[in-house]
Order: sequence, then C-alpha cells, then structure tokens
Amino acid sequence: MRRRLILSFLLIALLVNAAAVRAQAGNQLRFCLGSEPKTFDPLLVADDASETVRYLTGGVLMRLNRRSQQLEPELATSWRVTQKGNAITFMLRENVRFSDGTSFSAEDVAYTMQRLMDPALHSPTGDSFRSSDGKVLTQVAGKNRITITFSAPIVGLDKLFDQVAIVSARSPQKERAVLGPYYLAENKAGSYLLLKRNSNYWKHDAAGRQLPYIDSVRLDIQQNRDIEMLRLTRGEIDFINSLNGEYFDKLAARAPQMAFDAGVSLDSEEMWFNLVPTAPLPDYKKAWFASTNFRRAISASIHRDDLARVVFRGHARPAVSWISPANQFWFNQRLRPHAFDRNVALQALGQDGFRLQNGVLRDRGGHAVEFSVITNAGNKDRERMATMIQQDLGGIGIRLNVVTLDFPSLIERITRSFNYEACLLGLVNDDLDPNAQMNVWLSSAENHQWNPSQKAPATAWEAEIDGLMRAQAASLDVKKRKQAIDRVQQIVWEQEPFIYLVNKDALSAISAGLHNAHPVVLRPQVYWNIDQLTLGTEVARNR
Amino acid sequence: MRKLVKHAGRMVIVLLLGGFLGATLVRIAPGYGVDEEELDSRLSQESLQALRQSQVHDRNLASFYLRYWAQLLHGNFGFSVALHEPVRQLLAERFPETLKSIGMGLAIGWMFGLGLATTAVMARSSVIDVGASLLATILLCIPAAVLALLFVIAQAPGRLVIGLVVFPKIFHYARNLLVRSVALPHVLTARAKGLGGLRVFVWHVLPVAAPQLFALAGVSVCIAFAAAIPVEVLCDLPGIGQLAWKAALSRDLELLVNLTMIVTLITLLANSAAELVAQPMRAGEV
Repeated sequence: MRRRLILSFLLIALLVNAAAVRAQAGNQLRFCLGSEPKTFDPLLVADDASETVRYLTGGVLMRLNRRSQQLEPELATSWRVTQKGNAITFMLRENVRFSDGTSFSAEDVAYTMQRLMDPALHSPTGDSFRSSDGKVLTQVAGKNRITITFSAPIVGLDKLFDQVAIVSARSPQKERAVLGPYYLAENKAGSYLLLKRNSNYWKHDAAGRQLPYIDSVRLDIQQNRDIEMLRLTRGEIDFINSLNGEYFDKLAARAPQMAFDAGVSLDSEEMWFNLVPTAPLPDYKKAWFASTNFRRAISASIHRDDLARVVFRGHARPAVSWISPANQFWFNQRLRPHAFDRNVALQALGQDGFRLQNGVLRDRGGHAVEFSVITNAGNKDRERMATMIQQDLGGIGIRLNVVTLDFPSLIERITRSFNYEACLLGLVNDDLDPNAQMNVWLSSAENHQWNPSQKAPATAWEAEIDGLMRAQAASLDVKKRKQAIDRVQQIVWEQEPFIYLVNKDALSAISAGLHNAHPVVLRPQVYWNIDQLTLGTEVARNR
Repeated sequence: MRKLVKHAGRMVIVLLLGGFLGATLVRIAPGYGVDEEELDSRLSQESLQALRQSQVHDRNLASFYLRYWAQLLHGNFGFSVALHEPVRQLLAERFPETLKSIGMGLAIGWMFGLGLATTAVMARSSVIDVGASLLATILLCIPAAVLALLFVIAQAPGRLVIGLVVFPKIFHYARNLLVRSVALPHVLTARAKGLGGLRVFVWHVLPVAAPQLFALAGVSVCIAFAAAIPVEVLCDLPGIGQLAWKAALSRDLELLVNLTMIVTLITLLANSAAELVAQPMRAGEV
C-alpha cells in the first residue's frame, strides 16, 4: 500500500513536472522594435534595435546591474583596474561555451578587444575606449586570465565593458556565435527577428536550473506606436519598453497593473539656436541667437512646469542641466530649473535693445522677432512641446513657427546645411558617466550641436568648458572630476547654449503574464534581467 | 505582332524613364545619405567622417543608374542598405504576400463592384442602386489608411481593405457604363422583342461595355497596388507595399528604384494587356 502511495506520488510529481516543462517549452516572449537592427555585429552596434539584439544575445565580461547600478561579474569572475587607470586584468569563468559549442577563453577576449579597437572598424563602442591615439595591448596569461592595456588612462574603464559583447576568435559562425542567453535563429528583414534560447548559456539559477527561463524571444519590427499599444492590450506582445505620457495614462486608466513609472530618466528634451557663423541666416538673426541675454529670455519665457504637466501628463520634470537628477552622483544639486518669468525675460531682452511694441517684440534695427524651430515629425510629445513654446513666446511678442521634418531631413539640416534657426530635440543618454558626452561639449566636436567643429572655441565660456572636460577626462580622481563636471553644468545653466526643458520619466507597460519584470530607469528598462523573466502558463498556452 | 513590339518598346522606354526619375527623386530628397547614427556622441571624429563617407557612395546619379542597369542585366538587383539584404531576396520573400493581397482585393472589388452594378442596372432596382451607390460613395470618401486602421482595431483581415478600396471605383464606373449601354437602341429593341434579362446582358450589353471594362481592369490593378502600401504598413503585412514604405523612410536608393520599376512594369503590363484585349473588340464594334 505504502509503495503504491509512493509510486502514485512520484507519478503525479512527474506529470506535474512534465506539464510545467511543456508549458515552459512553448513559451515565447514577444515585444516590438521600433526599427530594423542595422547590424548584428555586436562590435558595430549604434542604434537601439541592434543594441536590443546585442543585449539579448551578447555575453559580456561584466554587467551593470540596471537596478543597483553596480557592476556584477558575468564572464569575468573578477577584475582589477591598475592605479594609472590604463589597464585592466580579468579572471575569466571556466567551462563556458559559445552558442555553437566553441569553447570560450582569454583568446576570445583578446580577439574581441583587438577587433573593437581597430581604427578601421569605426566602432562606437570602441570609440568610447579611445581617450588617445595608440594601440591596445592584450596580454593573455593562461586560458582564463587576460590583461588589457590602453595607451592612456580611461575614466570609468571597467563600466565600459558592459557594452562589449565577446565574439569568438575561432567559431566559423563568427559574430553569430554568442555567449548571451539567446542566439539569433531567424531574421525576416523588416518583419521580425526570432531569438532562441542558447543551450550553452553558462548561467544557472539557485536551484541549478539553466537560464533563461523563456525559450524564445520574437521581436516584431513595428514603427507605429498606436499599433504597438493595441497589440499589447490584446496580449499579442508582452511589454513596451518605453511609453509616452499619453499612452501611459490611457493604459493606467484601463489596466493600472500594466503601467509602470520608474521615475525620472536620464533623457532630456532641449532646444537650441543655430550659432554656426556660416549658417544661411540673416545677420540680425545670428546676432539675436548669439546673445546670452536673448537665450536666457527665451528660456525664462518657457513654462517648463506646464510642459511637464500638459505634454507629459505629469510624467516629466523641468530640466536643469545636461545631467538628469536621476544621475544622482554627477548631477549638480545646487542648480534649479529656470523659472518661468516674463518680466525677467523682457528685462534681459531690454538689455540687448529689444522692445515690445503693440504686442510685437522688435530688435534695435526694428526687425520683428520671429524664428522657426524644427523638430522631428511623428513625435507627438515634441510637436506638442513646440506648440506650447509657441504660445509661451507669443506672450513676449515673439512669433515662433513650428516646422516638423522627418528625421533624416532634420539631421541633414543640423549637421550639414545648417539651414535652420532653432531645433527642438531630445538627448538619449545611456551612460551615467558624463565623460560619454565629451563629443557634445568639446567645441571642436561634430556633435557640439549649436556650433560644431570649431577650429578654436568661439567664446570664452566654450573655451572654459573645453578645458574642464579635458581635465576631467584625464583625471582618475573622482572628486576633481565631479568639481569639473559641476562647473560645466553651471556654465551651461548660465549661458544656455542648450535650453533644457524637461527630463522625462521612464514609462513602460508590462502585461500581467510577464513575471519577474522590475522596470528601471536605465536602458533596457524592462528586460534588463531577461534571463530571470518568466511567462505565465496562460500566455505560454496561447502561443 | 507589330502592335506587340510597339507596346514592348513603349514599355521599355517608360520603364527606363520611370526608374531614372525615381532614382533622381530619391537622390535629391532632403536627408538622402544621412544617418541618425551621426548624432551618437560616442563616435570619434574619424568614425563620424567614415560614417558620412559610407553614405555618399552614390553621389553621381548618372553613374549610379548606369551601374544599376549593368548589374540588373546580370540578374543583380542590388543591395538594400536599410534592410541589409539583397534586393532580389527581399522581393522574392515579399512579392507573394502582395500578390495574395492584391489578388484577393481585386477579386473582392470586382465581384462586388461589377456584381452590384449589374444587379442594380439589369434588375432596375432603385433600392439596390441607391444602397450600393451610398456604400460605394462612403467607401470612396474613406482613405485606405483609415480603413486599414479600422480593420486593425477590429482585428479583421487587412487584405479585405484592398477589396474595399477597389470596389467603389469598379462599381461607379461599371454602373455608369452599364446604364449607358442598356439605353442603346439595339438593347431596347432586344428588350422590346421580349428577350430575357440574362440574354440581353450577355449578348447585347456586355459586348458593348467589355472594352471599357478591360481598360478599367488595368486601372484597378494600379489602384490595388497603390492601396497595398498603407494597408500593408498599418496591418503589418510583410509585402511589397510595406517594403516600399520602409525603403522611402530610409532613403534606400537601390530598393526604391527596383520598386519603382516593378510598380511601373506592373502598371504598364496591366494597361497594355487591357488595351491589347480591348482593341480588337472595339474594332469589331466598328
């Protein structure tokens, strides 16, 4: 009798386990990509869609935990940065294999770094490591130990490895052989990507079960955000990584358990004037834009609280600086957002000879103040912001014309023809370390948007920013770096080459069937712990 | 035979010109050769310059077009820079999807359009006439994109939208044509002699209307193709229309030139076929 009971118990346990395994086997996570990945080579990733594929498939030596914002060991069990800050030694995990079965060793790390730092590759990830000219040296000491030496110190060196997916030196599949939780199984260009579970993935949970829990990930290419939202509410996809305020509120009203606001993000929305001396603009307009008083007046006449409240439905904060308050260490806590004050704006304008006549602001030469702002078409938030700024500036007699352009046309104007007056755009920021924005703040840089590629700094304050940014990049003393970055924030706050408007919240939507998801501020907000995510049995059954 | 050669010659000229004009428009469009990666603040000056250089390989339009035709004659349709696949492969993957959508759309549009027009005219039913006219007018007023969106919301098959776009055009044209045809003296005489409705339609109305209906068939193929773009984009159907949209957004020159030529070729083939079939009929009438 007892034996029969035990046998029955075992049989039931087996059946339950089999059912669970079957449910797991059929499970597929689905979400949308806004565009086609431009590359599947992890070393050449530059766009969001490719970054998603890299995150899901790439194995890295260490990973920045998106929640704790601390580095955690992955393929490297430990590491040590030298005092000079120009070299790092890794101890690597043993018995790890690529998705195609090729074994992983220090040779692969050396190969990855040599390829990444090859100047001919022009890798954005590689450029993050490039603080000076000179070769990178890799010294392999045994199968599991490697030292990588750079020609000059690199600030935040270890954190940069979060972006370096190791590629195999020997696999015939080249970069398609991966060390991450999934591998690319199918790519229907322009339609969808199918990632399947990497059976050689090294990670196991506390119970010894191999990760990830979800068998496959289907990434549908979907540019239309309305349809993406519709598909989420129908249960066709499991989450939306980034939502705007309007969709968030709609979802929160209908299914509050699906809407997540992780708080203020690192991203900012800003506006700037074209200060390029050779721009095809009338001289009197160039003179307006070059005036600090004019820029301050525009800034003071924009009601940032209203932008946050109306456009972003309260899911944004008035912005202060180029560093978001979410970046607690680097944000200059002494600075406050510029207050909305039309009197302050008119006073500042008065100092430059502007005067308000019959509701129209005129400069010294009698020109009515009118200019256009370009922004990217299809971004509802920016279009609404532009409309609200138009109303705000109308209050001080300025006529603002809003021009929406598709993204390539807009980029052409701000980077090549410089045929624009003002631009409203957002800065997407993935990196907590401000050093990542060197190419925005150096006056010689191409991404110094208001006046790029200057041979010598056009203004004294730009020269000061250049000096401070270079000094912080050369120093490994965090306190000194913080002082320099604080001062840069102060200068930008005073001079307003970028008029910072708002910092948006990190909003996401997650279906009830997706478990273990803990949305965070840093990208990728929802699936940062992809190998821990699970799907409810109901979702698995429906797919 | 001479007519066929003439048609073929005309088609080749239009095709060459269409392709060249398509390439010219893409090439001079604002934002051509620009990549949003240029705003990536991680990129060094050298990488940014290299990225820009990589975008301007087709700076000379004439040389691009000559090179394009040279490789086309060798069966090479070029490479899509936006989707990172050979154009030929993309077309092979997506063409069946669009053919299915257009085939279904044309079948639905013609079945309901011609069917309702014939019923309304031959049965002399004002209820059917007014009802079908109203429906066709409403559908004519709704843009294809809005219809597609409604179908997405209703979770209905997107392919049906092409049928609803084609239907009103077929109905209005066919109805007016048939009304004119049944009013012809020989049809009235046939009716007066007591011939049945079906016989009158098949022997006396249809032969008169057929040449123009064939011309309409050619036009309807173009209408269906044009509707396929918003429908495939919004309903997420991986066909040629969706491909054209993606190619346009990313200024994918080689892909766009190929698609322009394909659409031009299909339009020309449909119209030429209709003309070739209709011409002898018209000659017979005379």
